[in-house]
Amino acid sequence: MLVDCDIHVGYETLADLLPYMDAATRELVVGSGTTGLTMPSYPWNHPTGWFRHDVYERAAAYDTNFSYVSLDVLRARHLDVYDVTLGVVEPDEAAAFSIIPNSQLASRLCSAYNDWLLERWLQEEPRLRGMLVVPAQYPEAAAAEVRRVGGRDEFVGVFLPGGARIPYGNPVYDPLWEAVNELGLPVAVHTHYESVGIGSSITAAGTPDYYVEYHTLCGSGMYGHFVSILCHGIFERFPDTRVAMVEGGLVPFVGFLWRLDTNWKACRSEIPWCKRRPSEYVWDHVRFASQPLETPDDPEQLLAAIEFLRPWDTLMYASDFPHWDFDEPEQTLRQLPPEWRDRVRYGNAAEFFRLPVSATA
Amino acid sequence: MSARVREARIPTGEAPPEGSVRVVDVGGHRVGVYRVAGELYALADRCPHRGAPLCTGVVATPIETDGDDLVLGPSGSIVRCPWHKWEFDIATGRCLSDPALRARRYAVWADGEEIVVTLAQPGSNGASRASAADSPGLG
Repeated sequence: MLVDCDIHVGYETLADLLPYMDAATRELVVGSGTTGLTMPSYPWNHPTGWFRHDVYERAAAYDTNFSYVSLDVLRARHLDVYDVTLGVVEPDEAAAFSIIPNSQLASRLCSAYNDWLLERWLQEEPRLRGMLVVPAQYPEAAAAEVRRVGGRDEFVGVFLPGGARIPYGNPVYDPLWEAVNELGLPVAVHTHYESVGIGSSITAAGTPDYYVEYHTLCGSGMYGHFVSILCHGIFERFPDTRVAMVEGGLVPFVGFLWRLDTNWKACRSEIPWCKRRPSEYVWDHVRFASQPLETPDDPEQLLAAIEFLRPWDTLMYASDFPHWDFDEPEQTLRQLPPEWRDRVRYGNAAEFFRLPVSATA
Repeated sequence: MSARVREARIPTGEAPPEGSVRVVDVGGHRVGVYRVAGELYALADRCPHRGAPLCTGVVATPIETDGDDLVLGPSGSIVRCPWHKWEFDIATGRCLSDPALRARRYAVWADGEEIVVTLAQPGSNGASRASAADSPGLG
């Protein structure tokens, strides 16, 4: 059994979503810009391509960051090859709906995407489960979208990108936390669109020059959200809330948790609603996706560095298919002690996403 | 306790008022005497975290929650370590953010016109008249 909690799918163009929009939104999308609505994108480009080269035909056109990978290719190159029992689908470009300034349009695009995802992928392939895309910049609308479709079995959580105007623990997001808590849906905070649109700068140092810098620092937004969620007492106030940190690495979270645990002791009076040491909330409510697994020359150094995160309870396998930094499952699992592997392979994800597979099979 | 009773006595009139500390020497040990809600308490002038002079820290009132509201806890009931700002409940010695960590407490009581401080644990010997807030067996 294998659960992959980070598979990316996307539309070929935004026009794919037109049939899922109301007439007015469709008119706006078609009429926008020069040839229709486009999403803002990264100021950096991967020097040799964002995607694995074996999953798409490199076209002559210089038009998009996110090449389209069909369901047939996903099956042939990933689900079948690795015998994936269940794969959790995260967005590619649709994640940008959360960082465009027009929040009204964003909420309509999110609804169209979720309906498209349901019909074109989730209902077509029983091995897939979806993460809802919601307009994070408009928490009331995000909550409404969660309540609209979040009760369906095909959806197993809510996606929030690392790029954001305000960190996700802030009370402006309470409507969204109330909705996910009510439906028992986990949230995945996943690096995406830092320094793009209304998303805050990827570092306080300023904007890096190179893609390789961006990719090294891309978890920065996630770390901010992680600390914000803990310090705002989200897990005290919304006790059925679960949060996954996806594609932000593992080792940085160790350092931030050590710092936060220490700082909380001195600054407890500022956030008295945090009754427990921050790391104790993590053990109960937070999980971490494995990809990109850090790869020091000496694998033993990795285990020593991440042991504090209790990976046997908190780590979930993720491939990031079809992106260039994809982690192959057995290669990932081989780096972990044998006694952790089944929990990482499927057990932790089955519990976290409440998937219809046994966590201990 | 050793056979030689190590104690300090201060006139009642020089005892610390609420919200402050009076540091005394007891057999070569610096001990802070506090008064919280009328009761006397004594803490070692040593933070159990990193050994800072705890009793030079500010006596403060803890900020707590009551549902969604922020409220003040018992007035002047904590001392905040001057170095790392960890907070300790004066009555129990417990660190608010790490209850496993305790500042050492000593016995203190009123004896006529004097306040007596010894290196005994609260509740032992003549300290039986010390704080009613002391819980047996927590020393």
